[in-house]
Amino acid sequence: MAGGDAVRADLEQVFRTAWPRVVAVATRVVGDRHRAEDVAQEVFLSFARSSVPAGEAAGWLAVAAAHTALNHLRADRRRATREEAADRPDPTTPDVADDVVTRDERRRVRAALGRLPRRQAVALVLRHSGLSYAEVAAALDLSPGSVGTTVRRAESALREELTRHAPNH
Amino acid sequence: MRRTTERRPTGRRTTERHPSEGTLRRLVDEPAGVADADRAHVAGCPACLAGLAAAQRDAAAAAAALTAGAPGGADAGTDAAWHRLSAAVAAGRPRPAAAPRRRWTLRRPLVAGLGVAVVLAGGGVAAAGDWLQVFRTEQVAPVTVTQADLVALPDLTAYGDVEVLEEPDVHGVPDAAAAEAATGLAVPQVAELPRGVTGEPSYQAGGRVSAVFTFSAERAAQAAAAVGEQLPPPPPGLDGGRFRLTAGPGVAAVWPSANGVPALVVARAVAPTGESSGVPFATARDYLLSLPGIPEDLAAQLRGFGGTGTTLPLPVPAGLATSEPADVDGVPATVLTSRDGLVAGVVWVEDGVVTAVAGSLGADEVLAVARGLDG
Repeated sequence: MAGGDAVRADLEQVFRTAWPRVVAVATRVVGDRHRAEDVAQEVFLSFARSSVPAGEAAGWLAVAAAHTALNHLRADRRRATREEAADRPDPTTPDVADDVVTRDERRRVRAALGRLPRRQAVALVLRHSGLSYAEVAAALDLSPGSVGTTVRRAESALREELTRHAPNH
Repeated sequence: MRRTTERRPTGRRTTERHPSEGTLRRLVDEPAGVADADRAHVAGCPACLAGLAAAQRDAAAAAAALTAGAPGGADAGTDAAWHRLSAAVAAGRPRPAAAPRRRWTLRRPLVAGLGVAVVLAGGGVAAAGDWLQVFRTEQVAPVTVTQADLVALPDLTAYGDVEVLEEPDVHGVPDAAAAEAATGLAVPQVAELPRGVTGEPSYQAGGRVSAVFTFSAERAAQAAAAVGEQLPPPPPGLDGGRFRLTAGPGVAAVWPSANGVPALVVARAVAPTGESSGVPFATARDYLLSLPGIPEDLAAQLRGFGGTGTTLPLPVPAGLATSEPADVDGVPATVLTSRDGLVAGVVWVEDGVVTAVAGSLGADEVLAVARGLDG
């Protein structure tokens, strides 16, 4: 019955539960809701034919979302110049954060994220997407104690990256 | 400044060691995860308090940087996203070889409904070896479901093992006589073809399909956990309980059309029956209906079938098709019509045999064919 590329039976159940969080993780990385949904679709397509145990699905999806989104950033960097010209305006209502952090700053954040060690970047994004320390630890196979250390280093490195590449500094 | 080795008025011992940067970081947003002794130390240690403040600043800056461009609290558009994923998953699958529309009208609802139906339908009693017949299809009844409900119907593989004992092996046969020889079922003869349907049909025959489902409490608990739900405790004896579903053999006559969608299909098959290895069936049904994931109104609809064990629920996607009752020579039947009006079908059950007539036709045309069948 279940072939090698069979679609898993619990796909929709898992999807409906995990979709918002997978999009949230991807959005933290790519900084754009539409592109984040593309990333999330890609992640669930892989998940659909995987045999990840149901109990580990949430962690697997979150980590896969972070990695896939970070991979997109890397691809972006290669075509950064073109993207600059064609950057899609954010269709959502501007909020306070948008006023403070301009689109240019958002681009610098993405570049900085892309330069962080991968594990740090993933831990950072997962924690800031609402995963608890225990969830991040389980997803990345770390001890909860070292999650704090990894996230702290990532935040410190992010600040340095953003300072170093800040305009007019 | 206090020494870190002293006892606090609370009686809690502090620690001499400065907690790690990681511990300070966790104090920022998950202090409950930090040991009391570490918290007590930090509260009285200027160096650690300074480290904590720095961690708070960096965390806030990172949060602002990462959430820029991320609309907070917006609806994640789950339904639309699910449709997009479903389409992508389907596109990656090998296409079914034959008659996609017919599969949609008949096969897909049946596939979705059969597994559930066997456990849902209540307890008739007829001993068959160590198996107890608990379900025998005598009629079908439409159950209106939304697209979301249809896919939300619990796939039994999430709740246990499904072992296919017999595959139907559907294959073409040269003529009606060969189809009957292969299956023991006479192919109903169409008295008069509807306008626009011409030529000779091709014949398909398929053997019996049977599958055994073994309920696993552990698997069901995992499925529930995956959606953040707690599994209701299974009733005694259900864990490891076995249910057997049997359907077929079946035959079909298919009139092709220029666009590949069958102009007309007349199909007949031995209707599904379900058996249990002795688990009280009403118990199993009620338990299944209580599992997380079944939409409440759908469950209520299905409970309405309880007791008789002879009604096969036929899920009809609310957005795609309509259903209405009809009769074929005095036998109650269900007419399904696609909302675009392009496809219609009629299904009925008589003497344990289910017959369907469907095609790129109107409802009145399929009914006319059904009422004119010979045999």
